[in-house]
Amino acid sequence: MAEGSKGVKRERVIFTFSGRIVPDSFVAFARHRAAKLDLPLAVLASDDSSVAVAVDGQVDLVDAFDMACSLGPHDCIVLDVERSPAPAALFESRNERTGQ
Amino acid sequence: MSLQDWYPLALSRDIAAGTSAGTRVLGEEFVVWRDSKGAVHAWDDRCPHRGMKMSFGFVRGDHIACLYHGWQYDTAGQCQYIPAHPDLEVPQTIKIPRFATIEAGGMIWGCFNGEDSATPPAPDLPSEITPLRSIFADCPAPLMVAQIAKTTFGETTPDVAAKTDRIVDITLGDIKLIAGVQAIADGESALHLVALGELDASKLKPLSLWAEQLRRDAEAVAKASATTEIAA
Repeated sequence: MAEGSKGVKRERVIFTFSGRIVPDSFVAFARHRAAKLDLPLAVLASDDSSVAVAVDGQVDLVDAFDMACSLGPHDCIVLDVERSPAPAALFESRNERTGQ
Repeated sequence: MSLQDWYPLALSRDIAAGTSAGTRVLGEEFVVWRDSKGAVHAWDDRCPHRGMKMSFGFVRGDHIACLYHGWQYDTAGQCQYIPAHPDLEVPQTIKIPRFATIEAGGMIWGCFNGEDSATPPAPDLPSEITPLRSIFADCPAPLMVAQIAKTTFGETTPDVAAKTDRIVDITLGDIKLIAGVQAIADGESALHLVALGELDASKLKPLSLWAEQLRRDAEAVAKASATTEIAA
């Protein structure tokens, strides 16, 4: 966890959402929520049982992203969420700012 | 959104500094609020957080706060502060769509073409007016306008000239009124009434009673029309 310019705590997190997943639907949902929260997002993997994404931003916004995606879109059921630190290099090489 | 040009939203007098009110135009919901400096704002009536109506919120100085969780928005519609996360640098994406407003003829007007669209010329209305009142009726706006000429003011039959579908000149003997016509929804409408020039205080009450009669007459016609349709 790092501190931003105003002392606001930031973090980079890999989320793995597992359950009954429709990959396209879930990824679109995650992109939309990340854009709303102004979080850069990288999609790492997706299949019909899990989606792994990484986000980088203020802790409160990352937590909000966690909660939003835990509910998921209407056609997916998220049964488990794993959260692990994401390496900075992940965003340097794969960074994509959603919604732009 | 297909709303074009300027729509009357309220009498200027009725939105005091530091207050907000909800309104609708053709079913679309807006909050109209006036900041402490006197500037009027018209926004989508919805907090991006949980969808609460911003018109239920509180105006404090130059911002409006949502009633539900206290998210505070500046005059640009940008959320600046979230009480539950006081240290958060609020993302620029958390913003309420806002629309152009002007004040003309004693009324607040909103233009909902879109935040980045050019606004049309302001309605050409006199500035020397006396605000009367707004009346809200359960009837379509065209029916309300058609009823004006049929509701007599004492012995006087109103002389009505519709300049546009939203501005109607009304002559009641020696009294000249302007009505801003607000189509709230399919079966709901409002008239925002002002008198030209200074009006003797003794005439305010009779005019207010006439406006109430106009509302009753228009609603009776609308109800009779609906009953006829059902019977048919």
